[in-house]
Amino acid sequence: MKRRADMKQVKKTVKILRRSPYQAIAALLAMSLTFFVSSVFVVLIIGGQVVLNYIEQRPQVIAFFKDETPNSKITEIIGKVKATGYTKEVKFVSKDEALAIYRERNKDEPLLLQSVSADFLPASIDISVTQASDVGKITSLVKNYPDVEKVITPEDLVKQLVKWTQAIRMGGIIFVSTLMSISFLIIIMVVGMRIALRRDEINIMSLVGATRSYIAKPFLIEGAIYGVIGASVATFLTYVLLLANARGIQDFLGPIQVFPIDPLFFVYLWIGEVAVAVFLGVAGASLALYRYLRIK
Amino acid sequence: MIKLDKVTKKYPSGQLALDDVSLEIKEGEFVFLVGPSGVGKTTFLRLFTREVRPTSGRVLIGEQDILMLSAKKVPYLRRRIGTIFQDFKLLLDRTIFENVAVPLEVTGKSEKEIEREVSEILESVGLLEKANSFPIQLSGGEVQRTAIARAIVGGPQILLADEPTADLDPLTAESVVDLLDKINKERKTTIIMATHNVQIVNKYKKRVVSMKKGKITSDEKEGRYEAGQKDS
Repeated sequence: MKRRADMKQVKKTVKILRRSPYQAIAALLAMSLTFFVSSVFVVLIIGGQVVLNYIEQRPQVIAFFKDETPNSKITEIIGKVKATGYTKEVKFVSKDEALAIYRERNKDEPLLLQSVSADFLPASIDISVTQASDVGKITSLVKNYPDVEKVITPEDLVKQLVKWTQAIRMGGIIFVSTLMSISFLIIIMVVGMRIALRRDEINIMSLVGATRSYIAKPFLIEGAIYGVIGASVATFLTYVLLLANARGIQDFLGPIQVFPIDPLFFVYLWIGEVAVAVFLGVAGASLALYRYLRIK
Repeated sequence: MIKLDKVTKKYPSGQLALDDVSLEIKEGEFVFLVGPSGVGKTTFLRLFTREVRPTSGRVLIGEQDILMLSAKKVPYLRRRIGTIFQDFKLLLDRTIFENVAVPLEVTGKSEKEIEREVSEILESVGLLEKANSFPIQLSGGEVQRTAIARAIVGGPQILLADEPTADLDPLTAESVVDLLDKINKERKTTIIMATHNVQIVNKYKKRVVSMKKGKITSDEKEGRYEAGQKDS
């Protein structure tokens, strides 16, 4: 019986929304925009993390040894690098292995392969660090060894990426918070206007014995409807946007594979956004009820 | 039984609406509450639905002091009391059927039950054929009968009528009070009707409680309401 009564309330709310659709459209647009922008930032932040992970999984520091460096010295340096605890993997590349890599990379360029022997190429160690932020510490350490001739590091790139990811995250939080606040205020305003328009009806219902929850429920359902529809539209738009630009994005990212995106990602995104949007809608409606009806 | 025990109501503006009022009304009684405008009749009626809380005193329905009820229980109290408002308070964008159905809807009754009960009530007040009309399409008497139908639809024990004949012509006013009298006799509903209609009060020979400046000045079984009382 309670379920039937709830369904009746939902139907009643939909009827009310249809009677004055413009306020509802305004609230829905605000919600959709807010959660679309949120989705874009979520995708950017997750994408940034994927790129960072990709780079972190590559050897980030390559130290080349002088020709005369004995293997025992190289083994000692490897040991000291490992002892820092910042590394995930330290791989020794001998002169012969370096030649094999060189040949593999230039197999289509026979001219480059002529007269190149293992003596021309230095031995090296490829160091993968656990965290991108540790690249600097490892670079400083290996540079201090006199046997190390040269160090190649993507430290600057990683720094830039970390900086950008943090900036996107911070910008996203600020921007999305602002939009959420606007949506919240719009919902308070729209629900408040509906309360004002239905003041006589609310007054009569109260006088004939309607409970506070009975009076409040249609407004709370209205807030939840804005949330569900707004978040659903936003997730759908994000999906379409990513799908339409998949090729371009993949070309831009090159070897960093992000497509195809697991459909579950969109399911989780939708669930998460609906949860937040419903909370926002219901909270806005509750505040409007408290403000205009003193219903807690 | 309804009982007011030394009830005083002073509004924040300083207006003394009720001044140490005590009264008992038995179950199934029909009482006219008379007096000129502004003597506290509406405040008196609004005490029972807890729209107004007295400054001091007790308001009892049965054995229960309704002032002790928590805010959550007030809707359940109101379901036991039907109210006919001076300004009808009908929803103009709803049909007569939908207006009368409001008290049943808020109690969570099924559509079938609502359909049956509302049809019965509309038939008893002679408005069944107007069920799908809107209030604006009805005459004054029909609008008032709609308000009565809404007030009695849940089968309340008490019916409060605040000047239900105020804007009606004498014949229509009489038909409305006839209907209330019928409800009182057939359903044993306790009725308190606030009015300053001399002809009506004197015709029906019911208990008459007169008020002046927030005080009860007389309380007579089969009483009368004199023109002088009205003007004073």
